[in-house]
Amino acid sequence: MSFFLDSFKSALQLIWSLDPDLLVIISVSLKVSFFSTLISSLIGVPLGLAVALGEFRTKRLLITILNTLLALPTVVIGLFVYSFISRRGYLGSLGLLYTTKAMIIGQVILIVPIVTTLTLSAVSRIDHRYRKTAMTLGANALQTAFVIMREARFAILASVITAFGRVIAEVGISMMLGGNAKGFTRTMTTAMALEFDKGEFTMSVALGLILLFIAFSVNIVFHYFQGKTGE
Amino acid sequence: MLYEIKNVVKNYDGRNVLDISCSLQKGRITGLLGPNGAGKTTLLEVLAFLTQPTSGDILFKGDMIDFTKEDLVEIRKKVVLLHQKPILFSTTVHNNVEFPLKVRNEKKSERQVIADQLLAMVGMERFSRAKAHKLSGGETQRVAIAQALACHPEVILMDEPTASIDIENRVIIEGIIQEINRTRGISVIFTTHDRDQATRLADNIMYLNEGRLADSQNENIFSGTIERDTERNTFFITHNSTKIPVKTEKAGFVRISIDPAEIKILQKVDNVRSGCTFKGKVVQLTDEQKYVRLLIDIGISLNVILERAIYLANPPGIGETVFLDLSPEKIEIF
Repeated sequence: MSFFLDSFKSALQLIWSLDPDLLVIISVSLKVSFFSTLISSLIGVPLGLAVALGEFRTKRLLITILNTLLALPTVVIGLFVYSFISRRGYLGSLGLLYTTKAMIIGQVILIVPIVTTLTLSAVSRIDHRYRKTAMTLGANALQTAFVIMREARFAILASVITAFGRVIAEVGISMMLGGNAKGFTRTMTTAMALEFDKGEFTMSVALGLILLFIAFSVNIVFHYFQGKTGE
Repeated sequence: MLYEIKNVVKNYDGRNVLDISCSLQKGRITGLLGPNGAGKTTLLEVLAFLTQPTSGDILFKGDMIDFTKEDLVEIRKKVVLLHQKPILFSTTVHNNVEFPLKVRNEKKSERQVIADQLLAMVGMERFSRAKAHKLSGGETQRVAIAQALACHPEVILMDEPTASIDIENRVIIEGIIQEINRTRGISVIFTTHDRDQATRLADNIMYLNEGRLADSQNENIFSGTIERDTERNTFFITHNSTKIPVKTEKAGFVRISIDPAEIKILQKVDNVRSGCTFKGKVVQLTDEQKYVRLLIDIGISLNVILERAIYLANPPGIGETVFLDLSPEKIEIF
């Protein structure tokens, strides 16, 4: 027990002293997660809207495929992207391997299905009268989609937050495509894995606490917005 | 003619929920009566070009509607459908009324003025800054009407506009319906369960049952008052002062029903019976296989059904003058 408490105490000291190594790791983590979430939202939200509102033959098949992709393991994505961007891969010449860009590519593949399927279900839950109302008031397809997105905004925001939560806590892709290079591609999760291997629990616990704190903050922001709809 | 509906069928899961041919005139208030599941709402959605019929043709102001075409948006802008329980966007009342103007790229200053005017018209100007989703059912309906008017529509379709709202709002909404028809010349088509409301508001009434125009016996229902002259002749006076001789002991406000099959078109004008003969104009002709249906304007619009052979013996065309014989004995009063 004292071992745990000691680690906890040292971790708090590390955070309190704003350890430079710690700050770099946090900033890399946040930067990569932010951009992968942003790109995934730009792809996933319109895609989810289009699938939810569109009527086409392969709709059910597409939804099944998207749901299947939710279960995609991070190591499989890591392997898949690696095969493209490694020296021998098609995109090898771009020199993406072991960069934050590679991590973002992998993470985007991981969470686009999450954002898409959650947007899809958020939009499907929206009262169908919104769509007919917008259309009968003269809105075109794009304007109608925008109205529906607006009505579903909090549920869509929730899907983005869920996706962010998934990437910030993800380790497989970051490790395989980022390479855990200190100061460049070391994220909170890869650092925790490494420090754990080294037997350095203090840093691991400190990073774990910060990870929890970030998750907590994001949820507080989310609940604030969600509360606004009920007013 | 506003709408011409030719053999329009809407099929859901192998069942025809709508199977109809009819015409609707411009500038009128039309009431669609019928029980639940009669196809009233489906018909309104077809008329709003929101639901594509399974088969059949719809002409809007003489133009054939092609549901597969992208430019339906333009035609849709002329027609607005108000749902039974309209839903307002989760923003302010004012923004809701502005929405149709916004999608039409109107200037912001103009949008403000028009939205304020329309809210005043439906008596909701005090709620301009209120959150739209916090209004009561009747208030929501009124804002939805203002929102619909912001579209400058030629037609407003209303699905049970006063169902499940309080009596105060019902009276207000009925007043608004009549006002927009009279002052803005907007054609209104509304569905209702309420026979009284239909006769009170509508210039003509259509009955729908199981997706079809229902038995004609229930057509030609009018409301008005019974009056007697000095010679003790009894007349039924409609809202626009058309005088029809009737036989009844009743007095005051009544409704009458005239079976369309019992109305005779006189072949010769010298058969005129004083008081019982009406001069009218044919405004609509509908082919109903064995029968021909005529809509004749004698001050009120009367549906007349003739056997095809009788019609063909002396076929009056649209716009022609005819003389009708309305026997007081055949007019039902209730």
